Amino acid sequence: MLRRPHSHWVMVLVVLLALGSLVIAQQPQPAQQNPSPASKNPQSPEKQTPGTQPGQENPSSTEAAQTGLPVFHNDVVIKGATLLTVTHGRIENGSIYIHNGKIAAIGKTVNAPANAKVIDATGRWVMPGIIDCHSHIALDDDVNEATSPITPQMMMKDAFDYNDRNIYRALAGGVTTSLLLHGSANMIGGQAIVIKHKYGLGRDELLFPGAPQSIKFASGENPKRVYGSRHQLPSTRMGNFEVMRSSFVEAREYMRSWDDYEAKVKKGDKDAVPPKRDLKLDALADILRGKLLVQIHIYRADEFLTEMAMAKEFGYKIRAFHHALEAYKVADKVAANGIAIATWPDWWGFKVEAYDGIPWNAAIALHNGVRVALKSDSEDVTRRLNQEAGKIMHYGNISEEDALKMITLNPAWIIGVDNRVGSLDVGKDADITIWNSYPLASAALVDQVFIDGDLFFDRSLSGLGLTHVKEAQ
Amino acid sequence: MLKKLILILAMMGCAMAQPKAHHKPAAASATATANDVIALRGGKLLTISHGVIENGVLVMEKGRITAVGGANTAIPKGAKVIEVSGMTVYPGLIDSETRLGLTEIPAVQMTDDFIEMSDEIMPNMHVYDAFHAETSAIPVTRINGITNAIVAPGNEDTLPGQDSFIQLAGKSADEMLLVRDIAMPLNFTGAQRRNQSFEQAKYPFTRMGMAAQLRQAFIDAQDYEQKMAAYEKKKSADPDKAGAPPKRDLKLEALLPYLRGQKPVVLAAEEANDVQTAMGLAKEFHLKVILNHLTHASQVLDQVAASGFPVIVGPIYEEPKQDERYDAVFRLPAEMAKRGIKIAFASYDAHNARNLPYAAGYATAFGLSHDEALKAITLNPAQMWGVDKDLGSLDVGKMGNVVVANGDPLDVKTDVKHVFIDGAEIPLVSRQTELRDQYWK
Repeated sequence: MLRRPHSHWVMVLVVLLALGSLVIAQQPQPAQQNPSPASKNPQSPEKQTPGTQPGQENPSSTEAAQTGLPVFHNDVVIKGATLLTVTHGRIENGSIYIHNGKIAAIGKTVNAPANAKVIDATGRWVMPGIIDCHSHIALDDDVNEATSPITPQMMMKDAFDYNDRNIYRALAGGVTTSLLLHGSANMIGGQAIVIKHKYGLGRDELLFPGAPQSIKFASGENPKRVYGSRHQLPSTRMGNFEVMRSSFVEAREYMRSWDDYEAKVKKGDKDAVPPKRDLKLDALADILRGKLLVQIHIYRADEFLTEMAMAKEFGYKIRAFHHALEAYKVADKVAANGIAIATWPDWWGFKVEAYDGIPWNAAIALHNGVRVALKSDSEDVTRRLNQEAGKIMHYGNISEEDALKMITLNPAWIIGVDNRVGSLDVGKDADITIWNSYPLASAALVDQVFIDGDLFFDRSLSGLGLTHVKEAQ
Repeated sequence: MLKKLILILAMMGCAMAQPKAHHKPAAASATATANDVIALRGGKLLTISHGVIENGVLVMEKGRITAVGGANTAIPKGAKVIEVSGMTVYPGLIDSETRLGLTEIPAVQMTDDFIEMSDEIMPNMHVYDAFHAETSAIPVTRINGITNAIVAPGNEDTLPGQDSFIQLAGKSADEMLLVRDIAMPLNFTGAQRRNQSFEQAKYPFTRMGMAAQLRQAFIDAQDYEQKMAAYEKKKSADPDKAGAPPKRDLKLEALLPYLRGQKPVVLAAEEANDVQTAMGLAKEFHLKVILNHLTHASQVLDQVAASGFPVIVGPIYEEPKQDERYDAVFRLPAEMAKRGIKIAFASYDAHNARNLPYAAGYATAFGLSHDEALKAITLNPAQMWGVDKDLGSLDVGKMGNVVVANGDPLDVKTDVKHVFIDGAEIPLVSRQTELRDQYWK
């Protein structure tokens, strides 16, 4: 059905190179920007100085070869656009220089090699690729292992359908990175995967290299409904939290037995017998050791408090509350714990625990200092998160930059990849979207999407608009 | 995903806590009454029917629009003048299919009155019998500029009942139900089949079954009408010899205005083949038709255009088919308008019916003109539903359903600043704004 393409972009490239006139005005002073202040461990940008070695070899740098990135062209310049950088405002009539899949320079002008491919984006808008930190696409129907309330050993990668057309449709809406989560049937569900929407490439090429591991927790109505309907534990919120608590107690015992064993081995005890390995307890131990980013499905304010108390009791950190419709009721406490929220702008009322959802949730949380992301949790909405960000601006006078962050840098932080993606900053992955008009609007369209510097979607192409998928007809 | 979830929740029929008590009833305590004379001065009037008037004046009196014009338009003495310069003024938006008032919390079955599932032919169900005027979703919707809506039953039956046309303000259901039984949905999407499994097979198991069942119902109604007419004839000739009247049948009786072509049937189909089958049935029985959905029917749009039937298009957020381009469904409104088909948009929702204008706005990204998009949530639906004498444009004599916003009505960033319904200003208050004000300190 879908075949791996080899020819399309390469052919375009050959033709363009053959034209031989792809020289942009060389500007003397590169206006490079520093990486995002949120970046704790930025990928070091290329050590080269663009434009100084016009004869340098471009194809397949060693870095690209090492990371396996599908770099079809190492030097691309997007020029003339209004750049929405997310971290340092707008740059009118600005340019971005992409080198080896990374943003090498950004500013009013950039230095780039004479043979760089130039994309004239005059009159158009450029922003980082959108990041959806709550998605269940590309898992087919295997979202919930709803057979036990505690299933941390489930790995979403085992269900990942990299051919799912929803990856493409989201890409065409400007999404470049998604966190694919387990469902909300279980108090502790499975471990997520982070993907880049490189539709048309192979399974492992879609996985975000080096992204931290997240785990999904849930709370409230869904677990109690799923198990309560079978007359199993949990059927109440008391039961919900008790199954969590008892699992962590068991995990602590397990960790202790391993610690004892390792201590014996250290002492030279050759007769020490290792405890039996248990995947579920291993995963719970990883939570308690802080190795997993905890992403919690949650609605009601009281449950925020219980989840935070539980985390304190067992010594792990919560990365983000998802849905989080009542965050506005306890926003100060959420902020004090350094926990982000990933919410919808305006979904509400579909069940009891969603009845108090209000579209000012994001604004109130933001004003209390909470890091806010907007997410889709929907194969539909993921295609138009730009509109969701535009919509949130009029619920509480949210600024353009804050609204942009909600679909880029903040979800990147929630996923733990904000040092790699989520803003137009030097050193970050060149995950870039070009729009035909101001993106935070009803009528904006994505023209082109680059991931790791490579073009994956181009609206002007016929058929699906994909560059890495050879279409049947 | 959400719709599936709701369905699953509903199917599981779980016992849930009672919904939290409402803070306030939906009926507005208006800040200005319909008896006041209100003049909106200085705004950009999007009249819909006769273009745009910059720096215009609009006057409302006794619930009606009494003047629409340029800066020199006379403002009656004593009028309450609201300065709206820099703002956009447009007619209240009309949502051509909602579930407003049929649910409070969809997952809680006791708050849902969507549909009777005991039979597929239920034209004698009337949403006005279930319409809950005090639902918290109505104030949430109207403060985003939607002033009127069709309330329709769920779509799992072939004939699930009859729609009502509502005003999104009023003291009670009686005031808000502007037109009862305004139209009858006829669903032919396949979802009306009862073919869960061979073990639980129930007629109609297939589309053939659906069509046959529907055809039989129409024939039975025609037969009923003839018997009734024959009885009436006998009775008027000689009451003594007329005998007993035929047994009254509410179900068949309900079909008669539609078989006579007096009211529109809202014919829902998604796939091209279903659209053709359904249109064939409509032709066979000479129905007056408004088409609905046509989500995957792009191949038959020329045929639809030739029929002259208007279309409620969408939801345009439905996924395209596996091999279709990402924008195959987003483009439909433009493709229809290009062929001269009269279109209207609908939210098909209750809680987020407020997002109706954004669907129209999104369609403009895919080729629909801005004028057509705006018409598709104002004048077009007013005409389709036969209420254009009162609604759908800024014209003298029409009802004072008027919205003032700080920008393009179709854009997600636009803030609605004033809403007038029946010439009275509606406070921009909902259960949600009350929660906001309670917690945002």
